[in-house]
Amino acid sequence: MGILFTRLFSSLFGNKEARILVLGLDNAGKTTILYRLQMGEVVSTIPTIGFNVETVQYKNIKFQVWDLGGQTSIRPYWRCYFPNTQAIIYVVDSSDTDRLAIAKDEFHAILEEEELKGAVVLIFANKQDLPGALDDAAVTEALELHKIKSRQWAIFKTSATKGEGLFEGLDWLSNTLKSGSG
Amino acid sequence: MSGHDSKYFSTTKKGEIPELKEELNSQYKDKRKDAVKKVIAAMTVGKDVSSLFTDVVNCMQTENLELKKLVYLYLINYAKSQPDLAILAVNTFVKDSQDPNPLIRALAVRTMGCIRVDKITEYLCDPLQRCLKDDDPYVRKTAAICVAKLYDINAELVEDRGFLDSLKDLISDNNPMVVANAVAALAEIQENSARPIFEITSATLQKLLTALNECTEWGQVFILDALSRYKAADAREAENIVERVTPRLQHANCAVVLSAVKMILQQMELITSTDIVRNLCKKMAPPLVTLLSAEPEIQYVALRNINLIVQKRPTILAHEIKVFFCKYNDPIYVKMEKLEIMIKLASDRNIDQVLLEFKEYATEVDVDFVRKAVRAIGRCAIKLERAAERCISVLLELIKIKVNYVVQEAIIVIKDIFRRYPNTYESIIATLCESLDTLDEPEAKASMIWIIGEYAERIDNADELLESFLESFPEEPPQVQLQLLTATVKLFLKKPTEGPQQMIQAVLNNATVETDNPDLRDRAYIYWRLLSTDPEAAKDVVLAEKPVITDDSNQLDSSLLDELLANIATLSSVYHKPPESFVTRLKTVSQRAEEDDYPEGSESGYPESPAHPVDGAASPSSSSGSRHPATSPPVAAAPAPVPDLLGDLIGLDNSNSLVPVDQPAPAGPPLPVLLPAAKGQGLQISAELTRSDGQVFYSMLFENNTQSVLDGFMIQFNKNTFGLAATGPLQVPPLHPGTSARTLLPMVLFQNVAPGAPNTLLQVAVKNNQQPVWYFSDKISLHVLFTEDGRMERATFLETWKSLPDSNEVLREFPGLVIKSMESTLDKLAASNMFFIAKRKNANQEVLYLSAKIPRGIPFLIELTAAVGVPGVKCAIKTPSPEMAPLFFEALEHFLQS
Repeated sequence: MGILFTRLFSSLFGNKEARILVLGLDNAGKTTILYRLQMGEVVSTIPTIGFNVETVQYKNIKFQVWDLGGQTSIRPYWRCYFPNTQAIIYVVDSSDTDRLAIAKDEFHAILEEEELKGAVVLIFANKQDLPGALDDAAVTEALELHKIKSRQWAIFKTSATKGEGLFEGLDWLSNTLKSGSG
Repeated sequence: MSGHDSKYFSTTKKGEIPELKEELNSQYKDKRKDAVKKVIAAMTVGKDVSSLFTDVVNCMQTENLELKKLVYLYLINYAKSQPDLAILAVNTFVKDSQDPNPLIRALAVRTMGCIRVDKITEYLCDPLQRCLKDDDPYVRKTAAICVAKLYDINAELVEDRGFLDSLKDLISDNNPMVVANAVAALAEIQENSARPIFEITSATLQKLLTALNECTEWGQVFILDALSRYKAADAREAENIVERVTPRLQHANCAVVLSAVKMILQQMELITSTDIVRNLCKKMAPPLVTLLSAEPEIQYVALRNINLIVQKRPTILAHEIKVFFCKYNDPIYVKMEKLEIMIKLASDRNIDQVLLEFKEYATEVDVDFVRKAVRAIGRCAIKLERAAERCISVLLELIKIKVNYVVQEAIIVIKDIFRRYPNTYESIIATLCESLDTLDEPEAKASMIWIIGEYAERIDNADELLESFLESFPEEPPQVQLQLLTATVKLFLKKPTEGPQQMIQAVLNNATVETDNPDLRDRAYIYWRLLSTDPEAAKDVVLAEKPVITDDSNQLDSSLLDELLANIATLSSVYHKPPESFVTRLKTVSQRAEEDDYPEGSESGYPESPAHPVDGAASPSSSSGSRHPATSPPVAAAPAPVPDLLGDLIGLDNSNSLVPVDQPAPAGPPLPVLLPAAKGQGLQISAELTRSDGQVFYSMLFENNTQSVLDGFMIQFNKNTFGLAATGPLQVPPLHPGTSARTLLPMVLFQNVAPGAPNTLLQVAVKNNQQPVWYFSDKISLHVLFTEDGRMERATFLETWKSLPDSNEVLREFPGLVIKSMESTLDKLAASNMFFIAKRKNANQEVLYLSAKIPRGIPFLIELTAAVGVPGVKCAIKTPSPEMAPLFFEALEHFLQS
């Protein structure tokens, strides 16, 4: 009975999952964010050699979230995941000021991708709990977000370990995707 | 996959790959699963679906076990073709190896081991480490095998990460399956490693013996194989081990039985108590007999192993000969093996029964089997003296049936019987002669001719019989020709009357002038010389008393037998070959192969020693030569340079210094090409100076790639530092298109010495009747000139060293040279007449003192300084002729490099 009901429900509302990529340099906190969103708790992680994929249900929208490894050696394979992507969550380690320039370059390279033309972009200025972390305005400046044209984007201050800012970002994402898809 | 899934194999749509790609990326789980099934289906029928790699890998993280297994299957197949992308799967493996479900953990670790991609192995070590310590035995036992697989890919990694120790810990695991797999993994790793990794101690021994009783049958095989390599400390321990293992002999699995037999045989070596050994032998018989009631293929394997076992311990099956009697419906390969074992088990006690069987077999339809049966009778006769007469009477009965191949086979074995029991059964010769006309096989003919020659004095019409064969002499196969030649000589020596004299003239003429066969010709020449020089000596040589033979056919050398027994129940014991001869695995094996090659290589290219044809001539027949102990009489060096009439008649050069080797010489190391075919209008000449038996030779190879016959070869050497020149004309036969000839040209020194500073240039001119004169140049490597008498006493060395002024010392460093092993280098140097005198250590370097001498008594005192394995060799020499030093260093460098 329960199964039947679920089926009926999903067919009525459509169980279309939004495909979301979580990208960013290594050690930005992507995997932690993924599992914080999915399970609501902090898991201990090791560098992701490859990918993680989880389904996150938030406010009646199902997100199929792909967390891709950020190591230099794996970045070339990000492009394998670009097709059919509705949104990108770009995670930046706000305290790692040394590598912000690299983060910026990678970010703009992604925006150039033809296959991601239609994807909305959500930036998480992560690790706000750490001392010396730049705030959202400083990260906006560092990533040169003002250069983004003809694409919806937003930036949020987050702390994955404390769970701050993540769901605000997801709120923005679900609203944007709903309005975008009609 | 359920039965319905076969529909996935039958798709005919175009653009399959893009379509699959789309489906794999579908948001619906079911659709993705179906798509993966389609991909696997395409993969199994051989379509290349590797381009879908990332799409399939993206389906890997799923709760669905079926889907996961399919993706894993895909990965195993394609990871190698997409090594870069394989890294995308790593994280999933890491996650799966921590899955709460032990099946998934084991699946992950197993699949990881099957992915042979170097780039990702490093990432898989952590999960493997965890799985080796997993709570679940199923995961541990899978991880154990994975270590062996990883070792094959990256041995260093396994050792660095301490996996070997983890494996050794698993031997003490409380789960017998884990123990068995750890043993299997360690055994496999040991096979791939040159240094000892897996050694059973008395502590692990107890663990293994306990696990043996509890684990699965294949686990038992692994443990038994490991135990058979264990060297027990004393007889008592060996007895204990054997006692614990004997119940395995009753196992239904024949692999377990054979492994248990192997293990017991190995430990029995140590057991001294004859009672216990007798008891064990008794216990091993029934299980071995039981193996013979299995399918023919298993019977064959069992028989091949039993063949080895009876050679080592005939008592085990001494009373069981009946089970080896052939059944009419046994496959031929089983019958042949059974016959072999019957011969080995035949004894005075059972010979009557065995002979009855053999006689029966000799009337069957399968020709090969019949032949082998007849031969078996002969071998029994040779083996069992007291039964010989009965065996011969059976053979005579068989001859009377007048089946052609039976008769021929019988004659072959009777020849051997005559060798075994001389002057005992010659009365049957008359019967044999009756079948003379029916012989058409070379071996049978050769045997019969040998018999006639050997007993010429007892056969009244021996000359007639031989003469009848002689008519067809030129057409006979070489084997028969050789026997005819020898038999005629024997006849002549035994009955030196007019008839045989004419015969021998004809045969020698035939065998020297009208044949292309060098063996035959050489043998004929030797007889000719012997006869013309000293008929009495000829008699001593040709009619020398032959040693009595024994039946050692199909008997293995005892060290080989022991090695094979240690490998019972493997392919090695079925092939009767040591494993390394058909499996190439570790580095040590290739090393051994080189050693084996070495003596061959050093022999080839030298003139065939004159001892060989004599050896062959005096042995009864070349066919039996391989089956009997060598019968070379002590006259190997007979053909000394004797001035003789016959020799002059046939134009043979007397000096004997000339060694024409115009037969296809055994392929030695390839000679350097000096005149390429492109330059020589199709004639290619390769040559090199060599030294053997104190003589310098120019070893040459002529290859005719032209369209016409080349003949009339001549050679000339320009003046050179050492005055090297040919001693005689070049002996090269007319070369037909596409053929080649090898020759050794003996050289002399100091004939046309070139004045001026010493150099290594050797200019050569070769001409033939068809082409212009070809000029090419070669290098004289000094080491071929080093004489055999170059060895110096220590005292002489010191004295000479002191007596020479310092201006005569020349030093040269070779920064690029490495000496890998002192011994082999010294051996090599000694082989080229550079003799070792003394050695001392200087810090980490070794200093060697050697001496060498070139003709005209010019010595070289050599001091070599080097550290083994470290590049850089320093060489100082002192010699009365320091101008020769550059030449010496050149030779030495070339020498140490090779």
